[in-house]
Amino acid sequence: MPDVVVVSPIGDVDRLEVRDLSKSYGGVRALHRVSTVFRRGFNGIVGDNGAGKSTLMRIISGDIQPDTGQLILNGKELHLRSTADARRAGIESLYQDLALADTLDVAGNMFLGREITRNFLGLRLLDKRAMVRAAERTVASVNIQIPEVSRMVRTLSGGQRQAVALARAIYFNAPVILLDEPTAALGPKETAAVLGLVEQLRANGKLIIMVSHNIPQILDIADHLIVMRSGRIVKEVDPQSTSQEELLGFMVGSRT
Amino acid sequence: MEGSRSLANLVSRWVVASTRLGPRLQSALLRMSSLAVLIGLIIFFGFTAPGWYSTTTLFNILTATSLFLLLALGETFVIISSGIDLSVGSMEGMAGVASAVLIVHIYHGGFGIGVVAAGAAAALVIGLLGGAINGIVVGYLGLNSLIATLATYGAYLGFADIISNGFPVGNLPPAMATLGNGSVIGIPFLVLIAAAASLFCAGLASHTRWGRYVFAIGANREAVRRAGVNLRRHTVLLFTLSGGLAGLAGLLSTAKFLSASSQAGSTDLLIAIAAVVIGGTPLTGGEGTIWGTVVGALIITIIENGFVEMGVSGFWQLVVVGIIIVVAVYVDEYQRKLRIAAASASQPRVDE
Repeated sequence: MPDVVVVSPIGDVDRLEVRDLSKSYGGVRALHRVSTVFRRGFNGIVGDNGAGKSTLMRIISGDIQPDTGQLILNGKELHLRSTADARRAGIESLYQDLALADTLDVAGNMFLGREITRNFLGLRLLDKRAMVRAAERTVASVNIQIPEVSRMVRTLSGGQRQAVALARAIYFNAPVILLDEPTAALGPKETAAVLGLVEQLRANGKLIIMVSHNIPQILDIADHLIVMRSGRIVKEVDPQSTSQEELLGFMVGSRT
Repeated sequence: MEGSRSLANLVSRWVVASTRLGPRLQSALLRMSSLAVLIGLIIFFGFTAPGWYSTTTLFNILTATSLFLLLALGETFVIISSGIDLSVGSMEGMAGVASAVLIVHIYHGGFGIGVVAAGAAAALVIGLLGGAINGIVVGYLGLNSLIATLATYGAYLGFADIISNGFPVGNLPPAMATLGNGSVIGIPFLVLIAAAASLFCAGLASHTRWGRYVFAIGANREAVRRAGVNLRRHTVLLFTLSGGLAGLAGLLSTAKFLSASSQAGSTDLLIAIAAVVIGGTPLTGGEGTIWGTVVGALIITIIENGFVEMGVSGFWQLVVVGIIIVVAVYVDEYQRKLRIAAASASQPRVDE
């Protein structure tokens, strides 16, 4: 194994390349020699259940390690051993199951694992006021409808909870943002609000990778689309010149 | 029936109303419900037990609370993280016996302040070590904390008897008596130590990253892991803290009674958990306060003390504590349900 290279988020990321990624669970091949380049903007991943989308996302987020293959961020190879490594490298993920601690408030969740501290007689104490202020600023800047940042996350709606997770990525200015079905559990209005936020992130030059089952939605917003099937990338398409029928055909394998 | 229904109605209205308040005020109100019980008890026993209001009673209550409060403080952290530590009572006994045996062994007359210091260090080290073992079994071996600490509960009880051959250990130096029963400016050392420990734990809970992770782990362990927190190390520290406080309790129990026995903390576990629960920390984890536990602990001692003053046998205390646990958990769950219902009812429906 080469030395661990963890790059800190220096400005924006133009390209995130995955090269020859493979991952098996027991005898089951979840990912087989997947190579592609994600570029700044909105990258969509579609595919049926078991296509390998989530495995790919979990590898990029540092949650699991590939059996073989490389992750290359702006030309530098990454060796991610944990989600914390990924965060340090500037890759922020939003998970399907919402990685929020329900009994902490909005600010507490935004800063979970990266709390602002102050020095008090040599002790490192939480600087709650600074975190609340920063959370308020972030929430205000992105126009998220969250009543107060001192609200327990438990009392928020699904869309507001996603917004909290997004606010985390915004505050820490992560250049790469991974979204795994961010609107799956949301109603139409909340979906629109969350997608509006994602749009804002793209406008700010972020590299976004989003997995979705919602074909019309992703065709509408993605700049670049990857179709996966049985652990492989079967097609990369330009959403502008692809119809829903074509895309579904690639997903189920009736088109190649 | 009519009366109880309208009472329930009143309570539910109050809870619903409280959800509209800020979360800080809301939790303050909920905390006040146990505080209200405490004040109610103080008034009740003042009327029913003549001469109950006195500084003697006050310090009796505070001193009697001190020992098991130390266990309850550590237990509060463990329960907030949605675990449990059943070994604290036997740890108290083991640490007390070990320090007494050491003190008796090295004591050769005189006031014995150095000897007691050595015994204190031994009690603390044994508590911390015992707690660390719990933490390693839970954090690294991945055992459920209930099973892990049930096992060490037995093991530590056994060790205490092995160390003392099953006999109480006495003949302790005068310095020990001073520690256990002395005071400074009228306030017993035991009370001062318990108060300092409470302050320390309250600060830990609300002003440190470590304390915040205790809450976050209780709410969503996976979220904390993904946030890059070393959960194993956190768990070891959590149980080490609980063990260290139990070790301190063991030392102070020995000092107070000038005798150490493996059975010293046998009822303290139940009472400590009761104090946490009465103090409003739910067993589901993620929430709770140190001050709630202090109030809960005081409620328990006042009931015992008040019973004795009223001429009711102190043995009833354990019976009443058992009943209070059930009532406290029930009331807590009821309030939580109402709160959740109220929160989802007040949530604007944007989907339609």
